[in-house]
Amino acid sequence: MLIKTRQNLRALALAALCACSLGLSGCQAAPPVSSDPPAVQSASGGPADAVRFDRTLDGYSPGKKEYDFYFTYKMVHPWWDAVALGMEDAARQYEELGVVVNYEYLAPTEVSALDQLRRLREAAERGFDVIGVDVADVGTVTPAINALLDQGQKVMTFSSSDASAENGCRRIAYVGNTHNYEDGADLTRALCEKLGGRGKVALLVGTPGAPCHEDRALGARRVIGQYPDMEIVETEYDRDTVELAYQYTKEFLASHPDLAGIICCNMSNPVGAARAVVEAGRQDQVVIVGMDHDQEALGYLRDGVIYALGVQDCYSIGFDTIQVAVKIADGLLPGDLYPEKTEEITTIIYQEDAASMLRILYGEID
Amino acid sequence: MDQSQQSINETQRRQTVAAAICGGILIAIILLITTVWVSTAARTGTSQAVAQVSEFYLEELAGRRAQVVSEELKNNFTYMENALSVLDSSDLESQDTLRRFLGKVKQLYGVNKFALVDENGIVYTQHSTTSGLSRYPFLAQKVTEPVITMSSLYGAKKQVILAIPVEGISFEGSRIEVCFIQLNISEMISSLTLQTGGNETFCNLYHRSGESLTDNNFGYLTSGHNLLSALRESELDPGYSYQQLEADFNVGQMGQISFRYRGGHEDLCYIPVEGTSWMLTILIRDNVINDQISSISSGMLRRSVIQIAITLAATLGVSIALIAQYRRNAQTLITREKADGDRIRAAYAQVERQQTAMEMIHAAMGSGQWHMDFDEDAKMVSCTWSDVFRNMLGYESEEDFPNLLESWSELLHDEDRERVLRAYWAAVRDYTGGTAYDVEYRLFTKHAGWRWFHSAGRLSRREDGSPITFVGLFLDVDDSKTMAIQLEQQRLDLQDALVAAQHANRAKTTFLNNMSHDIRTPMNAIIGFTSLAAAHIDNTEQVQDYLAKITTSSNHLLSLINDVLDMSRIESGKVKIEEKETSLPEVMHDLKTIVQSDIASKQLEFYIDTADVVNEHVLCDKLRLNQVLLNLLSNAMKFTMPGGIVSVRVIQKPGAADGWAAYDFQVKDTGIGMSQEFLAHVFDPFERERTSTVSGIQGTGLGMAITKNIVDMMGGAISVASEEGKGSTFTVSLHFQTCSGPVRQEEIPQLKGLRALVADDDFNTCSSVTKMLSTIGMRSDWTTSGKEAVLRTRLAADQGDEYAVFIIDWLMPDMNGVEVVRRIRTIIGEDKPIIILTAYDWSDIEEEARDAGVTAFCSKPIFLSELRELLETPFIPRGQEQLSSAPDISFAGKKILLAEDNELNQEIAIEILQSSGFDLDVVDDGQTAVERMSTAQPGQYDLILMDIQMPIMDGYEAAQRIRAMNRPGVTDIPIIAMTANAFDEDRRAALDAGMNGHIAKPIDVPKLMELLQTQLA
Repeated sequence: MLIKTRQNLRALALAALCACSLGLSGCQAAPPVSSDPPAVQSASGGPADAVRFDRTLDGYSPGKKEYDFYFTYKMVHPWWDAVALGMEDAARQYEELGVVVNYEYLAPTEVSALDQLRRLREAAERGFDVIGVDVADVGTVTPAINALLDQGQKVMTFSSSDASAENGCRRIAYVGNTHNYEDGADLTRALCEKLGGRGKVALLVGTPGAPCHEDRALGARRVIGQYPDMEIVETEYDRDTVELAYQYTKEFLASHPDLAGIICCNMSNPVGAARAVVEAGRQDQVVIVGMDHDQEALGYLRDGVIYALGVQDCYSIGFDTIQVAVKIADGLLPGDLYPEKTEEITTIIYQEDAASMLRILYGEID
Repeated sequence: MDQSQQSINETQRRQTVAAAICGGILIAIILLITTVWVSTAARTGTSQAVAQVSEFYLEELAGRRAQVVSEELKNNFTYMENALSVLDSSDLESQDTLRRFLGKVKQLYGVNKFALVDENGIVYTQHSTTSGLSRYPFLAQKVTEPVITMSSLYGAKKQVILAIPVEGISFEGSRIEVCFIQLNISEMISSLTLQTGGNETFCNLYHRSGESLTDNNFGYLTSGHNLLSALRESELDPGYSYQQLEADFNVGQMGQISFRYRGGHEDLCYIPVEGTSWMLTILIRDNVINDQISSISSGMLRRSVIQIAITLAATLGVSIALIAQYRRNAQTLITREKADGDRIRAAYAQVERQQTAMEMIHAAMGSGQWHMDFDEDAKMVSCTWSDVFRNMLGYESEEDFPNLLESWSELLHDEDRERVLRAYWAAVRDYTGGTAYDVEYRLFTKHAGWRWFHSAGRLSRREDGSPITFVGLFLDVDDSKTMAIQLEQQRLDLQDALVAAQHANRAKTTFLNNMSHDIRTPMNAIIGFTSLAAAHIDNTEQVQDYLAKITTSSNHLLSLINDVLDMSRIESGKVKIEEKETSLPEVMHDLKTIVQSDIASKQLEFYIDTADVVNEHVLCDKLRLNQVLLNLLSNAMKFTMPGGIVSVRVIQKPGAADGWAAYDFQVKDTGIGMSQEFLAHVFDPFERERTSTVSGIQGTGLGMAITKNIVDMMGGAISVASEEGKGSTFTVSLHFQTCSGPVRQEEIPQLKGLRALVADDDFNTCSSVTKMLSTIGMRSDWTTSGKEAVLRTRLAADQGDEYAVFIIDWLMPDMNGVEVVRRIRTIIGEDKPIIILTAYDWSDIEEEARDAGVTAFCSKPIFLSELRELLETPFIPRGQEQLSSAPDISFAGKKILLAEDNELNQEIAIEILQSSGFDLDVVDDGQTAVERMSTAQPGQYDLILMDIQMPIMDGYEAAQRIRAMNRPGVTDIPIIAMTANAFDEDRRAALDAGMNGHIAKPIDVPKLMELLQTQLA
């Protein structure tokens, strides 16, 4: 098992390595380099540490008795439901302190940057204390965020995708996964080692333009590039739907009888891929690595169909998003009380960790 | 007692004691033997019954808990339906209102989450609005009936969700389709699990697949394990099979199983939960039951034996002691009984004698006795009215007047009942005994109606103060009480009469003192200056000066007399309020006309304006309203130094009932003001502030009293605010019935949207006129500066949004209105109307103003109807309107018959009338006047001036007789009463007698001329 908390030095070194290896050409999605210290320190290493359900508020005394937040994210999906649980608990803890946190947490049923723009515009007209956005598409949404800031709105990004200063975005803070590139790279590295550094692999990505998915895909591509006997033969975007992931995997398997592995960059990818591989009876020939904590995917991990999964601490993302939003609403800027990027951990787990993770996340043993 | 009798008693006693001891021992032995036997049998039998008992116990336990769970679920469905039934449109107005509603419901029912879901899958809860389609899988299907489902949330937080379909509710344009509650099932179940020491019974809920609905451990089974899978690995007792267990779970059937799992022997009972696909399970460990029962049986046996031994010993000891005591007491009692019997008999005889005597006394004195008994809680247990008491009330028997408190209390007079019962219960419940019961009241007697009674009583009490008996007497005091009341009433009447007499005497003295002073003062001037005029008769200039002063004093004397008479008539009720349709604009304009000359002569500034007057025609006594306002204005002018400001403002207040209108008439001045001490008496008759400032200003001191009386008669109120040296404000508040609807409020189509400019240095006028212009649809600007008005006009022209109408005040501090008009005309040309608004007579400046470009003049105060009329009708040059004013009429050649008995008055009248060109014939009484007219030629006289009070025949009769003549050209001659009978009723009497008009003495020459002109025109 690999527990990651990205340190600045490591990120810089990796960025330098990538820059050197690719000659900096077209390197728009270079690994994100955070100038802030990581919010989460090193975990102890068990599945119990992958998601911290025992979070409590950090002791900050809110300046107001009631807050109204608006959060919009990429799409209606169980991954963001896990984030919502963290938000709910944080709001509940604030309520116990006599501080009411009201929030709207809404998304379309399919990823749409235009829909996100509409939601941001409408939220701005309704006067929320803070608007939070899980960026669907950096290029499209960044100008809208900047425009809202110019109007005096307080805007933050959260959960899976950030739009930072590097993208020209002036959002106040970000809470979530700050190391998508490394997640993609680490999963791919595990797959390469499992395959002995040789073979054809396919790459499944989520939504085109979604920073987290694209960064993971980029990490995967760069690691594969380091193995001369390995090759990415197919790349497809499932738009965060299991059905598309399943369809594309069936096509991969049909087109490449010698396919040795599939790298999955989002939550729906590994489920669809595993279904298709099991259906084709090729679970012993194809190594699957992927992201997130889908219950079905964890079942495939337990059964050995999936080789490794990167589990993000969605609960803490939601919990910290509310904490940071309260501070932003109080007029505080990133500094001593909270960093510009609140980093949440990703834990890579293998077959031996699957049952334990299923029990922790879903109470499932048998 | 003899010796043989004692011996027999002793023998009986010994036999009794011996029998008691033997009986006790026998009973003890039997108890001991049976207890040992029962305990042993129970111990043996209990072990055999354990299995059966635990089976029944488990079934019962499981059944009850399943019922609890089922009821809980049903309750929650009911909660949702109840909550939806009280959800109304106000809760759906916004996110905030909906959240408040959801919060209240959540708190009320104590659920983890109470939510509504709309057609787009948006979930609304107390603090959040979230997309719920992925989080709540049951929303994937349309919810058409109540749903019970599980939510295995991330973090293994298992929650039960109860949902119902919703119809007919929309929020922010979307249909609300589902309502659901989220319950923490683990918490519900944990309350059903029994814990005793370290041993437990376990309770849990499972799906029929064996999957747990909770995060709880179940016996040795760890949370998350599948029950059926775990039991497959357990060692089942003989007679039970796993297949049966699985089958029972599959079909949801109740059952029981004993098994050994992880080293412990356990009994499991399972039962389906009604309305769900769940199985409720109860688990108990066998060894717990066995150990408990064995321990209980042994303990029971030991305790029973000890208990019997102790009981036996105690019974023996107590019996011996009782027997000994019994012997001693028996002897003592016999002795006491004899002595007590003698005393009681004597006491009874004594009491009987006393009671008989008392009853005789009561009967003789006419007093009735009553008696009541109470228990320890001060509750009445008996009540006894004596026959004398009953008879006093006219009742014969207990049947007619039962021994109940209510029999008496219901006869109490309504005015006395509460007081008397309060006194009664206060005496009963005062445990200190300090409250006496001694009251007088009226009772309704059967034979004599209401009568006064006096009742008093005393209580005997227990040691704790609680009442035992309440005994009292009841006396008929009606005669003496009635007499006392009459005397008291007479005393009060006499006292009132004395006070009234003293007051009247004081008032009379005050009145005479005041009148003496007030009449003597002008009389002194009249007599003095008359003497001086006579002494300087050759000095014309000096005589004219004296005559002017005499005129002034005479006028004052006249006004004093008028006021005194007015006051007298008001106080005697002779003044009546006669309501008729009245135009408020007319009243205000008349007011202005009347005071204008005085205002000018006193060099005062005078404003008169209106605010929010929409009902201009009302039913009121115009004459009295005028009188009130004139009195106030006269006062204001009188006490304001030259250069000061006097203003009148009419405000229509909102909130009047339909068909009515409420007004405030405010008369304000910047005069000398009044002291706070005087303010309290300002409306009292003959009150004048005796200060150095006021002294020298003449007045009767009746004006304000008259005003106040008239306002009172009109149903209104008058108030005053004043500060010395700063001025006073009198406010008269009156309600009038409206006699026409409000002034038309609709817009004037031709002027709608056009701009108007109002320029007046008085802000109130600007505000009032601007509001009126808005009412008729114009966009109006205003300014208090003439220069700014010109500037605004230029700006409007530059912006291409010119003013269509200008309303300009004549006199503004920085630039007079005519100049403002002249400058505006240079900007806008000639076609736009410019109206000069002024409180003054504009005839002197009219020509200059029209040359400067003024289109029309309008008099302040301006009312909406006037402004509307002004702007709706074409502008006609005022000069042309006034050209039609009547020319002077010459009285030359007109002949008057004057009927007047007083020579001086004759002389005055002759002088006045002849100087105006009239010919006159004079007669001394009504009879002569009638005779003169009966012989006069038609046209010989043009008019008769008729005094009223004359010898031989008064003016009324004379007029009636002249009217009764059948002489054309004579009978219809105008007759005018010229009399010192100057009141309204005198005027009406003159008209009723057939006269054409009435003029009061002393003669107001201009008024007389005006009247003559009218009659002769």
